[in-house]
Amino acid sequence: MVKVVKSPKKGLVRSAIGHFRAITEVAKVVVNPGTITVHYPRERRKYPENFRGMIMFEKEDCISCFRCAHICPANAIQMYPDDEGRYYPGIDYAKCIFCHFCVDSCPTAALKQSKIHDVAYKDVDSMSVTPEEMDNVPEIVREDAVTVEYDFDRDIRLVKRKEVENLLVEVDKPERPEFKAVPQYGENCIGCRLCMFSCPVNAIRSKLEETKVILETDYDRCTGCGICVRICPTEVLILTPVEREGDHQ
Amino acid sequence: MADTASLVSILLDRILSIFVDEMINIPLINPIVERLMEIPFVNVIVAFILWKPIFHVLILPGLLGMTLALLFIIYFERKITARVQWRVGPKEVSRRTGGVIQALADGMRYLFQEVIVHRDANAFYFLQFPLISFLPVLLPLMFIPAGGTYGIKTIYTIPAALALISLIPVFIVAMGWASNSKFAYIGSVREAFMYFAYEIPFLLAVVAMIVLYQTPDPFEIVAKQWILGAVMNPIAFLAFFITVLIATSRLPFDIPEADQEVAFGPYVEYSGIIFGLVMMLPYEKLYLLSMLSVILFFGGWNGPEIAILGDLAPVIYLYIKTILFMCVVSLARSIYARYRLDQSLRLGWGVVLSLSMIALFISAGWAAWLRL
Repeated sequence: MVKVVKSPKKGLVRSAIGHFRAITEVAKVVVNPGTITVHYPRERRKYPENFRGMIMFEKEDCISCFRCAHICPANAIQMYPDDEGRYYPGIDYAKCIFCHFCVDSCPTAALKQSKIHDVAYKDVDSMSVTPEEMDNVPEIVREDAVTVEYDFDRDIRLVKRKEVENLLVEVDKPERPEFKAVPQYGENCIGCRLCMFSCPVNAIRSKLEETKVILETDYDRCTGCGICVRICPTEVLILTPVEREGDHQ
Repeated sequence: MADTASLVSILLDRILSIFVDEMINIPLINPIVERLMEIPFVNVIVAFILWKPIFHVLILPGLLGMTLALLFIIYFERKITARVQWRVGPKEVSRRTGGVIQALADGMRYLFQEVIVHRDANAFYFLQFPLISFLPVLLPLMFIPAGGTYGIKTIYTIPAALALISLIPVFIVAMGWASNSKFAYIGSVREAFMYFAYEIPFLLAVVAMIVLYQTPDPFEIVAKQWILGAVMNPIAFLAFFITVLIATSRLPFDIPEADQEVAFGPYVEYSGIIFGLVMMLPYEKLYLLSMLSVILFFGGWNGPEIAILGDLAPVIYLYIKTILFMCVVSLARSIYARYRLDQSLRLGWGVVLSLSMIALFISAGWAAWLRL
């Protein structure tokens, strides 16, 4: 089916009204423009608390659970070993897509969001950030004295306030769950005893039953550092959260 | 030896007496001028600068005033368009003043850029036309008077100025021809089409006003405007306004130099300071036509007298009115979108031509009625 579109009727009065409307509209805007530009380096837009900016990291809270590295869809997080043998995440910002899945997945809020979105690197190599560098907040030159917020209530308009916003976000720390390394899949054990040798507190013992090596964890000594879990080639040991009486999930 | 010295002093006195006869009288700077006039030889220079024709062409409505007006109008046009389009416009050059010197900074940039003359161009004409095109821009200034000052005083000043202004498109077409490139060629052809479309209604609108006042002498025209010309014959003003928009390539009619279509048309091959010169050409034309329209339609230099400024007051009135008119013209940019070539040709040959014809009849009616 073809719909025939007729050209609108043109008349002297109609076009005169059209011209008049256009001119009055422009005159209205000249007097009271609706400019919503944010003068960025001197003004800064107020972003919400859950803004997906640079990812901050606190080493003390990290439990080396590797969840951030596993969930990263861009494969941007690499786990770096430190001197004690524990692993901490480092983000390659050349790959990062700022989806903040890692922040969402972090059980201890060691990774957290910030409102910093204007960081420059000298080259591609320096964009892959190591855990040591992630501990530091990047140096930002603040030129802004005004914080701007968009008001969407009726027509869009700008609300300007003379204040400097803190770009770091404080988040409530979730209660840190206690983990213990549990030899859950004992049938996989090949008896290499790497876990025993790697444990810094000597919490893992092994005993030989016929041809099989049985692992036992001293739960009083285990700190849940996860070194044995990572080093185990057959994934016998699993970090398991400790469930105390009264805890319900 | 003494004879030659006296001869020189007699000659200087002669020259001085020519200038002093028609010196502009500004009571504000009179004490300084009087002190300078006592010094020999300096007095000749001072009298020369304050001589009405030279002051007119070089200083206030003339070269200096035109440069300032152009710098302002380019800035104003960008800023007002940005305001209408919810942007900010030029701001970063001199932030404290809101970027007023943006146009000057652009000019400086053009000055330090290389002027490239490409291989296909006719180098001689290519470089010559932008420079010669100042002739039809600056010469009309001699003819358009400004009340207190004037360049050449005849009763045919408005026809003479119009004739010179009408030469500008010829130079633009010639620039496009000398550039010898596709875009420049298309732009030149468009410019030629537009030239024929607007020139006749434009001249008819001016003739309508001359018929209305029954004289081509601007001094008499301004003296007769106790009712503004735009009120006496609004149809003529409408036709004149639209043709000014077409003639100066302002946005609804910037068909020859439409930068999205033909990349500045006739000016496409120019670069550096030569581009700065040719880019100024439509603006200079706008300044001249605005001055003309203020004289014809808005009472020229009429206004309350200011004793302390003396002869300068009417010049300043004319200048301010001209700049206001230019501001209104540049606002048209943000109201309308660009017309197609055939649409604007139809407009020029159809609506505007008939409007100017009607205006001519209205003027004839006024003239007949006023004479009775």
